[in-house]
Amino acid sequence: MDKYRVKDLMVPISEYATVSEGSTLLDAVLALEKAQEIFDHSQYLHRAILILDRNKRVIGKVSQLDTLRALEPKNEQLDKIEDISRYGFSQKFIINLREQNRLTDVSIRDMCLAAAGLKVEALMQTLTEGEFIDENASLNIAIHQLVRGSHMSLLVTSEKEIVGIIRSSDVFSAIFHTMKACKLA
Amino acid sequence: MKEIEKLFVRIVQRVNINLRELEFNVLPYVKDLIPAAQMNKFYAFYGITPHLPLSLQFRNSGLAGSYFLGRCRVTDSLLYKTDIRGDELKKKGDVFQFQNFKIPVSRDEEIVIEDSVLIKTLVHNFSHDPETLEDFSIKDTVSAHYANIHGAPTEGCFLGPFSTVDQTTIHDCVIGTFSYIQAGEINHLNIEPGTVWVRKPGVFNFLYRYPLDQLSPYIYFAPGIAPQGMFIDFVKDRQEAFQRVFEMVHIDQPIPVPASATLDRYAVVKSKTEISENVLVSQRAYLQNATLGKGANAQENCYIINSSLEGNNVTAHGAKIIEADMGRNVFVGFNSFLLGRPESRLKIGKDCIIMPHTIIDVRKPLMVPPGHIVWGLVTSREELECNSISIDAMSKTTNRLTKGNLLFEGDGARFVSAFQDRIHHILEANGAFYNCKDKKGPKGHAQKHQNMVFNTIQPYPKGRLEGLYPTIMIQP
Repeated sequence: MDKYRVKDLMVPISEYATVSEGSTLLDAVLALEKAQEIFDHSQYLHRAILILDRNKRVIGKVSQLDTLRALEPKNEQLDKIEDISRYGFSQKFIINLREQNRLTDVSIRDMCLAAAGLKVEALMQTLTEGEFIDENASLNIAIHQLVRGSHMSLLVTSEKEIVGIIRSSDVFSAIFHTMKACKLA
Repeated sequence: MKEIEKLFVRIVQRVNINLRELEFNVLPYVKDLIPAAQMNKFYAFYGITPHLPLSLQFRNSGLAGSYFLGRCRVTDSLLYKTDIRGDELKKKGDVFQFQNFKIPVSRDEEIVIEDSVLIKTLVHNFSHDPETLEDFSIKDTVSAHYANIHGAPTEGCFLGPFSTVDQTTIHDCVIGTFSYIQAGEINHLNIEPGTVWVRKPGVFNFLYRYPLDQLSPYIYFAPGIAPQGMFIDFVKDRQEAFQRVFEMVHIDQPIPVPASATLDRYAVVKSKTEISENVLVSQRAYLQNATLGKGANAQENCYIINSSLEGNNVTAHGAKIIEADMGRNVFVGFNSFLLGRPESRLKIGKDCIIMPHTIIDVRKPLMVPPGHIVWGLVTSREELECNSISIDAMSKTTNRLTKGNLLFEGDGARFVSAFQDRIHHILEANGAFYNCKDKKGPKGHAQKHQNMVFNTIQPYPKGRLEGLYPTIMIQP
């Protein structure tokens, strides 16, 4: 276990879901499905799509949460409710307000239709310094970065190139097997 | 560049550094608000009374037209027509109760103002921050016209015109025009104009936000322009009367004042005004054809015109009452603006609580029933229905209440009792309950401020230091 390096556990970039900037959310979701079909040796699904610029460099990431966020209705009243959360009201109170202002005539299907055409740039999260890790870094460092930044995955670099992605599920899987081995021993 | 201009630039820079996270630049808001030439036109003055410790220090500061009482230290700051009223500061040996802590006060509290610009601002009460009991500190802060800093230590803040921070420690915040904040402690918040927020964490949370388009005729403030709107016009129309009381060295009391009452010599009193026992009228208050019943008070920057207050009324700092009749025990909160008309008077029933920063502006007669809480903007009977609730009904609120723009969460009974306890404390501190017949009972400001005298101090009239005051220390 201690000998593991990040590159031993990462998913190579070629096997991960990617789309070019300018793609729609639907393009991204289809790319995710396709990547998952090819990359079928893990019980854990990919949870994000990487966005590449015209030079094939990673410029951002669309996660499952970003996709769900795109479905959230947006209007002035809901923005106000979002703002109210700054004033120390309980989560229950805010949810209740949102429920009161929910658009009852919009179906999930309509929401999906509207979100599917959105450009990925509008949804993606740009990457921060703590989301990169060297391919030769130890598993300890990877765990620290995932926990510290509450990240679901890290981009793995070799020199300046992004060569893969290490997911929290991959690290968890490795830890899980080690724990089991400890118990059996 | 003169020293006073350098000081202004330095203070603005310090505030901007504190507000960089909010990407807020104070300069366009305040650069023309205090013309440097005005800073040598007005003397500053301080009160002397046997009832309060006296300790004042002024260093590298402009103090034009400002007033000081009690213990205060001002360093590297510009104060313009600002009132620093240190008559409620903690004393050595007092015990401050905070949650389950009983914290002894180790020395007399002092108001400490550093690197700040305060314009026509009122500073009063005492620090409610349990971490700084002996210093009520205002640091790296800019406040605009008629802001109230009431028991609220501030650091790195901008307070818009007619805003109030009350019993709240604030760090690196922007408090929007006409916003009222009483929330314990806040950090790094940009509060929109017209926000009224009263929060006791875990107990209750009251939030009302003015529709900005409806607030702007009353008060509007934007970068590059002076504050404008009905509030400003109202005050400007009466400015000349204050010039007279400030220019005269000796001024006779314009009306009879009972032995247990105080009428400050820097208040304006116009004809047909009557004040009863235990009344407190503070400096910069304006009374015209006003009747103040026993135990009523009019605090700094209050205007009471063609109106009657039956007794034990609190008219908090900056509140204005015009063409109105107030029943007994009515509380009118900070900077509220209650405007009736001669043909459409406003009547407020007894025991009502008019929340801070409430605007009532009616063109038809309006009666607020006794025992009600009123907030926000009220221009009609329908809006009163939407923006008020009986104290009984509020006391029965156990979870949540939404009414118009009001959001309330928590314990309504504790919200009501918090206000009622505070109103009682204010009346007591102001001397409303003093037994003037037997000359017994708790003396308050109305009795203690009677024999106050004032000294004036002056700035450099010309030269490099023009507008700044020499370093001055005033001790007993």
